[in-house]
Amino acid sequence: MNIEHILFYVMGFIAVASALVVAASKNLVRSLFMFFVTLFALAGLYVFALADFVAITQIVIYVGGVLVLMLFAFMLSGKEVLNNLQQRNSRFISLSKVPAILVALLFAIVLYNAITKAQPNDLPWIKASAQSGNVIKPADNTINNIGVNLMTRYLLPFEAVSVLLMMTLIGAAHLARKEEHKII
Amino acid sequence: MQPKANYHLNFYITYIIIAVGLFAFSALFALFGVYAERKVSAFIQDRLGPTEVGKFGTLQTFADILKMLQKELIVPAAADKLLFSLAPVIIFVSVYLGFAALPWAPGIAPTNLNIGLFYVFAIISIETLGILMAGWGSNNKYSLLGAMRSVSQIISYEIPAGFAIISVVMIAQTLDLQAIATQQGILTSETIKFFGFYDVTHIGGLLSWNIFRAPHLIVAFVIYFIASLAEANRAPFDIPEAESELVAGFHTEYTGLRFAFVFLAEYSMMFLVSMIGVILFLGAWNTPLPNIGSVYLANWTTNVAWGIFWVALKSLLLVGVQMWIRWTLPRFRIDQLMNLCWKVLTPLAFVCMLISGVWRLLLM
Repeated sequence: MNIEHILFYVMGFIAVASALVVAASKNLVRSLFMFFVTLFALAGLYVFALADFVAITQIVIYVGGVLVLMLFAFMLSGKEVLNNLQQRNSRFISLSKVPAILVALLFAIVLYNAITKAQPNDLPWIKASAQSGNVIKPADNTINNIGVNLMTRYLLPFEAVSVLLMMTLIGAAHLARKEEHKII
Repeated sequence: MQPKANYHLNFYITYIIIAVGLFAFSALFALFGVYAERKVSAFIQDRLGPTEVGKFGTLQTFADILKMLQKELIVPAAADKLLFSLAPVIIFVSVYLGFAALPWAPGIAPTNLNIGLFYVFAIISIETLGILMAGWGSNNKYSLLGAMRSVSQIISYEIPAGFAIISVVMIAQTLDLQAIATQQGILTSETIKFFGFYDVTHIGGLLSWNIFRAPHLIVAFVIYFIASLAEANRAPFDIPEAESELVAGFHTEYTGLRFAFVFLAEYSMMFLVSMIGVILFLGAWNTPLPNIGSVYLANWTTNVAWGIFWVALKSLLLVGVQMWIRWTLPRFRIDQLMNLCWKVLTPLAFVCMLISGVWRLLLM
Protein backbone atom coordinates (compact mmCIF):
# COMPACT_ATOMS: atom_id res chain seq x y z
CA MET A 1 0.00 0.00 0.00
CA ASN A 2 1.66 3.20 -1.05
CA ILE A 3 0.30 6.70 -0.59
CA GLU A 4 -1.52 6.65 -3.95
CA HIS A 5 -3.51 3.58 -2.95
CA ILE A 6 -4.43 5.09 0.38
CA LEU A 7 -5.52 8.33 -1.24
CA PHE A 8 -7.55 6.44 -3.83
CA TYR A 9 -9.44 4.49 -1.21
CA VAL A 10 -9.95 7.56 0.96
CA MET A 11 -11.43 9.43 -2.00
CA GLY A 12 -13.56 6.50 -3.04
CA PHE A 13 -14.88 6.20 0.50
CA ILE A 14 -15.63 9.93 0.68
CA ALA A 15 -17.45 9.81 -2.66
CA VAL A 16 -19.64 6.87 -1.65
CA ALA A 17 -20.29 8.03 1.92
CA SER A 18 -21.15 11.58 0.93
CA ALA A 19 -23.43 10.32 -1.84
CA LEU A 20 -25.26 8.20 0.74
CA VAL A 21 -25.64 11.25 2.97
CA VAL A 22 -26.98 13.25 0.00
CA ALA A 23 -29.63 10.61 -0.58
CA ALA A 24 -30.53 10.03 3.05
CA SER A 25 -30.35 13.49 4.57
CA LYS A 26 -33.64 15.10 5.58
CA ASN A 27 -32.26 18.60 5.21
CA LEU A 28 -32.31 19.52 1.52
CA VAL A 29 -29.76 22.33 1.72
CA ARG A 30 -27.34 20.13 3.57
CA SER A 31 -27.68 17.42 0.99
CA LEU A 32 -26.91 19.95 -1.73
CA PHE A 33 -23.76 21.03 0.09
CA MET A 34 -22.88 17.40 0.67
CA PHE A 35 -23.24 16.85 -3.07
CA PHE A 36 -20.36 19.32 -3.40
CA VAL A 37 -18.19 16.95 -1.39
CA THR A 38 -19.23 14.05 -3.65
CA LEU A 39 -18.32 16.02 -6.76
CA PHE A 40 -14.98 16.99 -5.29
CA ALA A 41 -14.13 13.41 -4.38
CA LEU A 42 -15.10 12.35 -7.91
CA ALA A 43 -12.78 15.01 -9.32
CA GLY A 44 -10.03 13.49 -7.19
CA LEU A 45 -10.77 10.06 -8.66
CA TYR A 46 -10.55 11.52 -12.17
CA VAL A 47 -7.08 12.77 -11.34
CA PHE A 48 -6.11 9.20 -10.47
CA ALA A 49 -7.39 8.14 -13.88
CA LEU A 50 -4.90 10.63 -15.41
CA ALA A 51 -7.80 12.76 -16.58
CA ASP A 52 -6.81 15.99 -14.85
CA PHE A 53 -8.56 18.09 -17.47
CA VAL A 54 -11.82 16.23 -16.86
CA ALA A 55 -11.33 16.64 -13.11
CA ILE A 56 -11.03 20.41 -13.37
CA THR A 57 -13.85 20.66 -15.89
CA GLN A 58 -15.97 18.73 -13.41
CA ILE A 59 -15.28 21.37 -10.77
CA VAL A 60 -15.92 24.30 -13.13
CA ILE A 61 -19.15 22.91 -14.54
CA TYR A 62 -20.68 21.06 -11.64
CA VAL A 63 -19.48 23.01 -8.63
CA GLY A 64 -19.26 26.46 -10.20
CA GLY A 65 -22.33 26.05 -12.39
CA VAL A 66 -24.81 23.26 -11.78
CA LEU A 67 -24.58 23.15 -7.99
CA VAL A 68 -24.86 26.92 -7.66
CA LEU A 69 -27.84 26.83 -10.00
CA MET A 70 -29.49 24.14 -7.86
CA LEU A 71 -28.88 26.21 -4.74
CA PHE A 72 -30.38 29.24 -6.46
CA ALA A 73 -33.45 27.27 -7.48
CA PHE A 74 -33.73 26.04 -3.91
CA MET A 75 -33.36 29.45 -2.32
CA LEU A 76 -35.75 31.16 -4.70
CA SER A 77 -38.58 28.64 -4.27
CA GLY A 78 -41.29 29.16 -1.70
CA LYS A 79 -41.29 27.67 1.79
CA GLU A 80 -44.37 25.51 1.20
CA VAL A 81 -42.99 23.73 -1.84
CA LEU A 82 -39.90 22.92 0.13
CA ASN A 83 -41.82 21.70 3.14
CA ASN A 84 -43.81 19.35 0.93
CA LEU A 85 -40.58 18.08 -0.54
CA GLN A 86 -39.03 17.56 2.84
CA GLN A 87 -41.91 15.57 4.26
CA ARG A 88 -41.25 11.93 3.66
CA ASN A 89 -43.07 8.73 4.16
CA SER A 90 -41.81 7.18 7.34
CA ARG A 91 -42.87 3.60 6.51
CA PHE A 92 -40.01 1.48 5.29
CA ILE A 93 -42.05 -0.56 2.80
CA SER A 94 -44.54 1.29 0.66
CA LEU A 95 -45.82 1.25 -2.91
CA SER A 96 -44.12 4.53 -3.81
CA LYS A 97 -40.76 2.92 -3.27
CA VAL A 98 -41.23 0.14 -5.83
CA PRO A 99 -39.72 2.06 -8.79
CA ALA A 100 -36.68 2.97 -6.72
CA ILE A 101 -36.15 -0.64 -5.65
CA LEU A 102 -36.58 -1.82 -9.25
CA VAL A 103 -34.02 0.65 -10.56
CA ALA A 104 -31.60 -0.23 -7.77
CA LEU A 105 -31.93 -3.95 -8.49
CA LEU A 106 -31.42 -3.54 -12.24
CA PHE A 107 -28.43 -1.32 -11.64
CA ALA A 108 -26.98 -3.87 -9.23
CA ILE A 109 -27.30 -6.56 -11.94
CA VAL A 110 -25.58 -4.32 -14.49
CA LEU A 111 -22.78 -3.52 -12.05
CA TYR A 112 -22.33 -7.16 -11.12
CA ASN A 113 -22.05 -8.13 -14.77
CA ALA A 114 -19.70 -5.29 -15.53
CA ILE A 115 -17.39 -6.23 -12.67
CA THR A 116 -17.32 -9.97 -13.22
CA LYS A 117 -17.50 -10.26 -17.01
CA ALA A 118 -15.85 -7.19 -18.54
CA GLN A 119 -12.22 -8.11 -17.64
CA PRO A 120 -10.73 -4.80 -18.77
CA ASN A 121 -7.17 -6.11 -18.60
CA ASP A 122 -7.83 -8.75 -21.25
CA LEU A 123 -9.46 -6.59 -23.92
CA PRO A 124 -7.56 -6.97 -27.21
CA TRP A 125 -7.29 -3.25 -28.03
CA ILE A 126 -5.97 -2.44 -24.56
CA LYS A 127 -3.35 -5.17 -24.86
CA ALA A 128 -2.37 -3.92 -28.31
CA SER A 129 -1.94 -0.31 -27.17
CA ALA A 130 0.00 -1.36 -24.10
CA GLN A 131 2.35 -3.35 -26.30
CA SER A 132 2.85 -0.59 -28.88
CA GLY A 133 3.43 2.02 -26.17
CA ASN A 134 0.33 4.03 -27.09
CA VAL A 135 -0.45 4.97 -23.48
CA ILE A 136 -0.71 8.15 -21.41
CA LYS A 137 1.86 8.55 -18.67
CA PRO A 138 1.33 10.65 -15.52
CA ALA A 139 3.71 13.37 -16.72
CA ASP A 140 2.14 13.69 -20.19
CA ASN A 141 0.36 16.80 -21.30
CA THR A 142 -3.17 15.61 -22.00
CA ILE A 143 -4.82 18.81 -23.17
CA ASN A 144 -3.10 18.92 -26.56
CA ASN A 145 -4.42 15.44 -27.20
CA ILE A 146 -7.94 16.48 -26.19
CA GLY A 147 -7.80 19.57 -28.38
CA VAL A 148 -6.59 17.75 -31.48
CA ASN A 149 -9.15 14.99 -31.04
CA LEU A 150 -12.02 17.45 -30.52
CA MET A 151 -11.13 19.27 -33.72
CA THR A 152 -10.63 16.18 -35.87
CA ARG A 153 -12.18 12.90 -34.84
CA TYR A 154 -14.98 14.26 -32.66
CA LEU A 155 -15.74 17.43 -34.61
CA LEU A 156 -19.35 16.52 -35.41
CA PRO A 157 -20.42 15.78 -31.80
CA PHE A 158 -18.55 18.89 -30.71
CA GLU A 159 -20.45 21.05 -33.19
CA ALA A 160 -23.74 19.38 -32.31
CA VAL A 161 -23.17 20.23 -28.65
CA SER A 162 -22.36 23.83 -29.54
CA VAL A 163 -25.61 24.11 -31.53
CA LEU A 164 -27.50 22.68 -28.56
CA LEU A 165 -25.90 25.22 -26.22
CA MET A 166 -26.73 28.01 -28.67
CA MET A 167 -30.36 26.90 -28.64
CA THR A 168 -30.51 26.97 -24.84
CA LEU A 169 -28.89 30.41 -24.81
CA ILE A 170 -31.42 31.79 -27.28
CA GLY A 171 -34.24 30.16 -25.34
CA ALA A 172 -33.03 31.65 -22.06
CA ALA A 173 -32.69 35.10 -23.61
CA HIS A 174 -36.20 34.81 -25.06
CA LEU A 175 -37.70 33.78 -21.72
CA ALA A 176 -35.92 36.54 -19.85
CA ARG A 177 -36.58 39.47 -22.19
CA LYS A 178 -39.13 42.19 -21.50
CA GLU A 179 -42.35 42.47 -23.50
CA GLU A 180 -41.93 45.24 -26.00
CA HIS A 181 -45.15 47.16 -25.37
CA LYS A 182 -44.45 47.56 -21.68
CA ILE A 183 -43.09 50.87 -20.46
CA ILE A 184 -40.13 50.40 -18.19
CA MET B 1 14.88 1.56 0.48
CA GLN B 2 16.20 4.12 2.93
CA PRO B 3 17.12 6.85 0.42
CA LYS B 4 13.79 6.50 -1.36
CA ALA B 5 11.81 6.89 1.85
CA ASN B 6 13.94 9.88 2.72
CA TYR B 7 13.32 11.38 -0.67
CA HIS B 8 9.58 10.95 -0.20
CA LEU B 9 9.72 12.52 3.21
CA ASN B 10 11.67 15.50 1.90
CA PHE B 11 9.19 15.81 -0.93
CA TYR B 12 6.22 16.07 1.41
CA ILE B 13 8.03 18.31 3.88
CA THR B 14 8.87 20.73 1.06
CA TYR B 15 5.23 20.88 0.06
CA ILE B 16 4.12 21.47 3.64
CA ILE B 17 6.66 24.27 4.05
CA ILE B 18 5.47 25.86 0.81
CA ALA B 19 1.84 25.61 1.91
CA VAL B 20 2.60 27.18 5.31
CA GLY B 21 4.65 29.88 3.60
CA LEU B 22 1.79 30.75 1.26
CA PHE B 23 -0.60 30.93 4.19
CA ALA B 24 1.79 33.17 6.10
CA PHE B 25 2.14 35.33 3.02
CA SER B 26 -1.61 35.74 2.57
CA ALA B 27 -2.08 36.54 6.26
CA LEU B 28 0.73 39.10 6.23
CA PHE B 29 -0.57 40.55 2.99
CA ALA B 30 -4.04 40.94 4.54
CA LEU B 31 -2.51 42.81 7.49
CA PHE B 32 -0.55 45.04 5.17
CA GLY B 33 -3.51 45.40 2.81
CA VAL B 34 -5.87 46.61 5.51
CA TYR B 35 -3.34 49.16 6.66
CA ALA B 36 -2.66 50.30 3.10
CA GLU B 37 -6.36 50.49 2.36
CA ARG B 38 -6.91 52.73 5.38
CA LYS B 39 -4.02 55.00 4.52
CA VAL B 40 -4.97 55.18 0.82
CA SER B 41 -8.60 55.93 1.62
CA ALA B 42 -7.49 58.54 4.13
CA PHE B 43 -5.24 60.16 1.55
CA ILE B 44 -7.98 60.18 -1.08
CA GLN B 45 -10.53 61.64 1.35
CA ASP B 46 -8.00 64.12 2.75
CA ARG B 47 -7.90 62.55 6.21
CA LEU B 48 -5.01 61.12 8.22
CA GLY B 49 -6.12 57.54 8.76
CA PRO B 50 -4.72 55.54 11.70
CA THR B 51 -2.00 57.48 13.51
CA GLU B 52 -2.05 56.41 17.16
CA VAL B 53 -0.87 52.80 17.38
CA GLY B 54 2.80 52.59 16.49
CA LYS B 55 4.67 54.96 14.22
CA PHE B 56 2.20 56.35 11.62
CA GLY B 57 -0.35 53.84 12.89
CA THR B 58 1.56 50.89 11.44
CA LEU B 59 0.59 48.61 14.32
CA GLN B 60 -3.11 49.44 14.04
CA THR B 61 -4.02 46.30 12.06
CA PHE B 62 -2.03 44.09 14.47
CA ALA B 63 -4.03 45.58 17.31
CA ASP B 64 -7.24 45.00 15.36
CA ILE B 65 -6.46 41.39 14.59
CA LEU B 66 -5.52 40.72 18.24
CA LYS B 67 -8.84 42.15 19.31
CA MET B 68 -10.64 40.06 16.72
CA LEU B 69 -8.95 36.84 17.83
CA GLN B 70 -10.15 37.33 21.40
CA LYS B 71 -13.76 37.90 20.47
CA GLU B 72 -16.49 35.41 21.17
CA LEU B 73 -17.70 33.25 18.28
CA ILE B 74 -21.40 34.03 18.17
CA VAL B 75 -23.70 31.65 16.33
CA PRO B 76 -27.21 33.04 15.81
CA ALA B 77 -29.87 30.86 17.45
CA ALA B 78 -31.76 30.27 14.19
CA ALA B 79 -28.66 29.60 12.09
CA ASP B 80 -27.73 26.28 10.55
CA LYS B 81 -24.71 25.79 12.80
CA LEU B 82 -22.74 23.42 10.62
CA LEU B 83 -23.05 25.46 7.42
CA PHE B 84 -22.53 28.68 9.32
CA SER B 85 -19.22 27.61 10.82
CA LEU B 86 -17.92 25.82 7.70
CA ALA B 87 -18.58 28.65 5.25
CA PRO B 88 -15.66 30.99 6.15
CA VAL B 89 -13.23 28.10 5.91
CA ILE B 90 -14.47 27.12 2.45
CA ILE B 91 -14.35 30.73 1.27
CA PHE B 92 -10.78 31.15 2.45
CA VAL B 93 -9.48 27.75 1.39
CA SER B 94 -10.79 28.16 -2.15
CA VAL B 95 -8.90 31.43 -2.55
CA TYR B 96 -5.81 30.03 -0.84
CA LEU B 97 -5.75 26.96 -3.11
CA GLY B 98 -5.61 29.32 -6.07
CA PHE B 99 -2.10 30.38 -5.03
CA ALA B 100 -0.87 26.79 -5.46
CA ALA B 101 -0.36 27.14 -9.22
CA LEU B 102 0.99 30.67 -9.56
CA PRO B 103 4.65 31.05 -10.62
CA TRP B 104 6.77 33.50 -8.62
CA ALA B 105 10.05 33.48 -10.50
CA PRO B 106 11.85 31.54 -13.25
CA GLY B 107 11.55 27.91 -12.15
CA ILE B 108 9.83 28.81 -8.88
CA ALA B 109 6.20 27.77 -8.61
CA PRO B 110 4.48 25.87 -5.78
CA THR B 111 3.25 23.27 -8.29
CA ASN B 112 3.91 23.05 -11.98
CA LEU B 113 0.58 22.14 -13.52
CA ASN B 114 0.25 22.01 -17.27
CA ILE B 115 -3.34 23.18 -16.89
CA GLY B 116 -2.54 25.68 -14.14
CA LEU B 117 -4.62 28.53 -15.51
CA PHE B 118 -7.71 26.35 -15.84
CA TYR B 119 -7.14 25.04 -12.32
CA VAL B 120 -6.98 28.53 -10.84
CA PHE B 121 -10.11 29.54 -12.71
CA ALA B 122 -11.93 26.45 -11.41
CA ILE B 123 -10.81 26.68 -7.82
CA ILE B 124 -11.85 30.33 -7.55
CA SER B 125 -15.38 29.40 -8.59
CA ILE B 126 -15.72 27.36 -5.40
CA GLU B 127 -15.75 30.60 -3.46
CA THR B 128 -19.31 31.25 -4.68
CA LEU B 129 -20.38 28.06 -2.96
CA GLY B 130 -18.88 29.21 0.33
CA ILE B 131 -20.63 32.53 0.00
CA LEU B 132 -23.99 30.85 -0.61
CA MET B 133 -23.31 28.62 2.39
CA ALA B 134 -22.62 31.66 4.56
CA GLY B 135 -25.71 33.44 3.29
CA TRP B 136 -28.03 30.49 3.85
CA GLY B 137 -26.43 29.31 7.07
CA SER B 138 -26.76 32.71 8.77
CA ASN B 139 -30.56 32.58 8.36
CA ASN B 140 -30.68 36.33 8.00
CA LYS B 141 -32.36 38.11 5.13
CA TYR B 142 -29.50 40.54 4.62
CA SER B 143 -26.99 37.71 4.50
CA LEU B 144 -29.09 35.76 2.03
CA LEU B 145 -29.66 38.77 -0.22
CA GLY B 146 -25.99 39.62 -0.09
CA ALA B 147 -25.01 36.07 -0.94
CA MET B 148 -27.42 35.93 -3.89
CA ARG B 149 -26.16 39.23 -5.23
CA SER B 150 -22.58 38.19 -4.77
CA VAL B 151 -23.03 34.89 -6.54
CA SER B 152 -25.00 36.29 -9.47
CA GLN B 153 -22.32 38.95 -9.89
CA ILE B 154 -19.41 36.54 -9.68
CA ILE B 155 -20.98 34.07 -12.10
CA SER B 156 -21.82 36.82 -14.60
CA TYR B 157 -18.38 38.36 -14.52
CA GLU B 158 -16.68 35.00 -14.91
CA ILE B 159 -17.77 35.09 -18.56
CA PRO B 160 -15.96 38.25 -19.74
CA ALA B 161 -13.01 37.34 -17.52
CA GLY B 162 -12.94 33.87 -19.02
CA PHE B 163 -12.96 35.16 -22.58
CA ALA B 164 -10.27 37.72 -21.83
CA ILE B 165 -8.19 34.87 -20.43
CA ILE B 166 -8.91 32.71 -23.47
CA SER B 167 -7.69 35.47 -25.76
CA VAL B 168 -4.34 35.36 -23.92
CA VAL B 169 -4.25 31.59 -24.06
CA MET B 170 -4.79 31.71 -27.82
CA ILE B 171 -1.73 33.94 -28.17
CA ALA B 172 0.35 31.93 -25.68
CA GLN B 173 -0.88 28.48 -26.83
CA THR B 174 -0.58 26.98 -23.37
CA LEU B 175 -2.46 26.76 -20.09
CA ASP B 176 0.73 26.36 -18.08
CA LEU B 177 1.16 29.59 -16.12
CA GLN B 178 4.93 29.13 -15.87
CA ALA B 179 5.16 28.73 -19.67
CA ILE B 180 2.99 31.81 -20.21
CA ALA B 181 5.31 33.72 -17.86
CA THR B 182 8.48 32.52 -19.60
CA GLN B 183 7.17 33.56 -23.01
CA GLN B 184 7.07 37.20 -22.00
CA GLY B 185 10.76 37.83 -21.48
CA ILE B 186 14.29 37.11 -22.57
CA LEU B 187 14.32 33.53 -21.29
CA THR B 188 11.90 32.38 -23.95
CA SER B 189 12.82 29.94 -26.70
CA GLU B 190 10.26 31.40 -29.11
CA THR B 191 10.43 34.49 -31.28
CA ILE B 192 8.67 37.35 -29.54
CA LYS B 193 7.42 40.18 -31.72
CA PHE B 194 6.48 43.61 -30.43
CA PHE B 195 3.08 44.50 -31.96
CA GLY B 196 3.49 41.54 -34.30
CA PHE B 197 6.29 42.93 -36.46
CA TYR B 198 9.38 43.97 -34.46
CA ASP B 199 11.51 41.09 -33.15
CA VAL B 200 12.27 41.72 -29.46
CA THR B 201 13.30 38.19 -28.44
CA HIS B 202 16.70 39.36 -27.16
CA ILE B 203 15.58 42.81 -26.07
CA GLY B 204 12.86 41.68 -23.67
CA GLY B 205 11.62 44.00 -20.98
CA LEU B 206 8.38 45.88 -21.33
CA LEU B 207 8.27 45.26 -25.08
CA SER B 208 7.75 41.53 -24.87
CA TRP B 209 4.87 41.57 -22.38
CA ASN B 210 1.67 40.03 -23.64
CA ILE B 211 -0.17 43.34 -23.82
CA PHE B 212 2.47 44.59 -26.27
CA ARG B 213 2.93 41.35 -28.15
CA ALA B 214 -0.65 41.74 -29.33
CA PRO B 215 -2.09 45.20 -28.62
CA HIS B 216 -5.72 44.07 -28.47
CA LEU B 217 -4.75 42.33 -25.24
CA ILE B 218 -4.68 45.80 -23.66
CA VAL B 219 -8.45 45.79 -24.10
CA ALA B 220 -8.59 42.23 -22.82
CA PHE B 221 -6.56 43.28 -19.79
CA VAL B 222 -8.96 46.12 -18.99
CA ILE B 223 -11.89 43.70 -19.31
CA TYR B 224 -10.13 41.20 -17.07
CA PHE B 225 -9.31 43.88 -14.52
CA ILE B 226 -12.90 45.15 -14.34
CA ALA B 227 -14.20 41.60 -14.05
CA SER B 228 -11.65 40.80 -11.36
CA LEU B 229 -12.91 43.74 -9.31
CA ALA B 230 -16.35 42.18 -9.50
CA GLU B 231 -15.05 38.72 -8.60
CA ALA B 232 -13.30 40.08 -5.54
CA ASN B 233 -16.50 41.95 -4.56
CA ARG B 234 -14.62 45.24 -4.59
CA ALA B 235 -16.15 48.66 -5.12
CA PRO B 236 -17.56 49.84 -7.52
CA PHE B 237 -18.99 46.33 -7.60
CA ASP B 238 -19.50 45.89 -3.86
CA ILE B 239 -23.27 45.53 -4.04
CA PRO B 240 -23.05 42.20 -2.15
CA GLU B 241 -21.86 44.14 0.87
CA ALA B 242 -23.50 47.49 0.21
CA GLU B 243 -23.30 48.85 3.77
CA SER B 244 -26.11 51.33 3.15
CA GLU B 245 -28.54 48.62 1.98
CA LEU B 246 -27.55 45.24 3.38
CA VAL B 247 -25.67 46.00 6.63
CA ALA B 248 -22.66 43.91 5.55
CA GLY B 249 -24.01 41.39 3.07
CA PHE B 250 -23.25 37.72 3.43
CA HIS B 251 -20.94 38.16 6.43
CA THR B 252 -23.36 40.20 8.54
CA GLU B 253 -23.59 37.59 11.29
CA TYR B 254 -19.93 36.66 11.53
CA THR B 255 -17.77 37.60 14.48
CA GLY B 256 -14.26 37.04 15.70
CA LEU B 257 -12.07 34.50 13.97
CA ARG B 258 -14.72 33.57 11.42
CA PHE B 259 -15.04 37.16 10.31
CA ALA B 260 -11.26 37.32 10.17
CA PHE B 261 -11.28 34.41 7.72
CA VAL B 262 -13.82 36.13 5.46
CA PHE B 263 -11.68 39.23 5.56
CA LEU B 264 -8.51 37.30 4.88
CA ALA B 265 -10.19 35.68 1.90
CA GLU B 266 -11.19 39.06 0.49
CA TYR B 267 -7.66 40.45 0.68
CA SER B 268 -6.07 37.24 -0.59
CA MET B 269 -8.53 37.34 -3.48
CA MET B 270 -7.43 40.89 -4.31
CA PHE B 271 -3.82 39.77 -4.50
CA LEU B 272 -4.67 36.56 -6.32
CA VAL B 273 -6.63 38.21 -9.14
CA SER B 274 -3.96 40.92 -9.47
CA MET B 275 -1.25 38.31 -9.68
CA ILE B 276 -3.14 36.34 -12.33
CA GLY B 277 -3.56 39.58 -14.28
CA VAL B 278 0.15 40.28 -13.98
CA ILE B 279 1.10 36.78 -15.10
CA LEU B 280 -1.22 36.78 -18.07
CA PHE B 281 -0.87 40.31 -19.35
CA LEU B 282 1.92 42.24 -17.66
CA GLY B 283 4.92 40.00 -18.13
CA ALA B 284 4.66 37.92 -14.92
CA TRP B 285 8.11 37.85 -13.24
CA ASN B 286 9.82 39.45 -16.20
CA THR B 287 11.55 42.76 -15.84
CA PRO B 288 10.08 45.90 -17.42
CA LEU B 289 13.60 47.07 -18.36
CA PRO B 290 14.67 46.18 -21.92
CA ASN B 291 18.19 45.53 -23.20
CA ILE B 292 19.33 48.77 -24.83
CA GLY B 293 22.35 48.30 -27.08
CA SER B 294 25.20 47.07 -24.90
CA VAL B 295 23.37 47.93 -21.67
CA TYR B 296 21.83 44.55 -20.82
CA LEU B 297 19.28 45.78 -18.31
CA ALA B 298 16.92 42.88 -19.00
CA ASN B 299 19.65 40.25 -18.57
CA TRP B 300 20.80 41.83 -15.31
CA THR B 301 17.34 42.05 -13.80
CA THR B 302 16.06 38.56 -14.68
CA ASN B 303 16.73 35.92 -12.03
CA VAL B 304 14.94 34.32 -9.11
CA ALA B 305 15.26 37.20 -6.64
CA TRP B 306 14.39 39.83 -9.20
CA GLY B 307 11.53 37.64 -10.43
CA ILE B 308 9.89 37.54 -7.01
CA PHE B 309 10.51 41.26 -6.65
CA TRP B 310 8.92 42.13 -10.02
CA VAL B 311 5.88 39.90 -9.66
CA ALA B 312 5.23 41.22 -6.15
CA LEU B 313 5.76 44.82 -7.21
CA LYS B 314 3.46 44.59 -10.20
CA SER B 315 0.75 42.76 -8.24
CA LEU B 316 0.95 45.31 -5.44
CA LEU B 317 0.63 48.11 -7.98
CA LEU B 318 -2.54 46.50 -9.32
CA VAL B 319 -3.84 46.08 -5.76
CA GLY B 320 -3.09 49.79 -5.30
CA VAL B 321 -5.19 50.58 -8.37
CA GLN B 322 -8.00 48.45 -6.96
CA MET B 323 -7.92 50.51 -3.75
CA TRP B 324 -7.73 53.76 -5.68
CA ILE B 325 -10.82 52.75 -7.68
CA ARG B 326 -12.68 51.67 -4.57
CA TRP B 327 -12.31 55.04 -2.90
CA THR B 328 -12.94 57.08 -6.05
CA LEU B 329 -15.95 55.55 -7.78
CA PRO B 330 -19.47 55.21 -6.37
CA ARG B 331 -21.22 51.84 -6.23
CA PHE B 332 -23.00 50.46 -9.29
CA ARG B 333 -26.69 49.62 -9.20
CA ILE B 334 -27.45 45.95 -9.87
CA ASP B 335 -29.03 46.57 -13.30
CA GLN B 336 -26.12 48.80 -14.34
CA LEU B 337 -23.78 46.08 -13.20
CA MET B 338 -25.49 43.43 -15.31
CA ASN B 339 -25.75 45.78 -18.31
CA LEU B 340 -22.04 46.49 -18.16
CA CYS B 341 -21.25 42.80 -17.94
CA TRP B 342 -23.54 41.39 -20.62
CA LYS B 343 -23.87 44.25 -23.08
CA VAL B 344 -20.41 45.82 -22.98
CA LEU B 345 -17.76 43.53 -21.54
CA THR B 346 -18.92 40.19 -22.92
CA PRO B 347 -19.17 41.31 -26.60
CA LEU B 348 -15.85 43.15 -26.29
CA ALA B 349 -14.23 40.06 -24.84
CA PHE B 350 -15.61 38.02 -27.74
CA VAL B 351 -14.09 40.48 -30.19
CA CYS B 352 -10.75 40.19 -28.39
CA MET B 353 -10.91 36.44 -28.70
CA LEU B 354 -11.62 36.63 -32.44
CA ILE B 355 -8.77 39.08 -32.97
CA SER B 356 -6.50 36.75 -31.01
CA GLY B 357 -7.30 33.92 -33.37
CA VAL B 358 -6.63 36.01 -36.47
CA TRP B 359 -3.49 37.47 -34.90
CA ARG B 360 -2.12 34.07 -34.10
CA LEU B 361 -2.74 32.82 -37.64
CA LEU B 362 -1.50 35.85 -39.56
CA LEU B 363 1.14 37.59 -37.47
CA MET B 364 2.85 35.00 -35.28
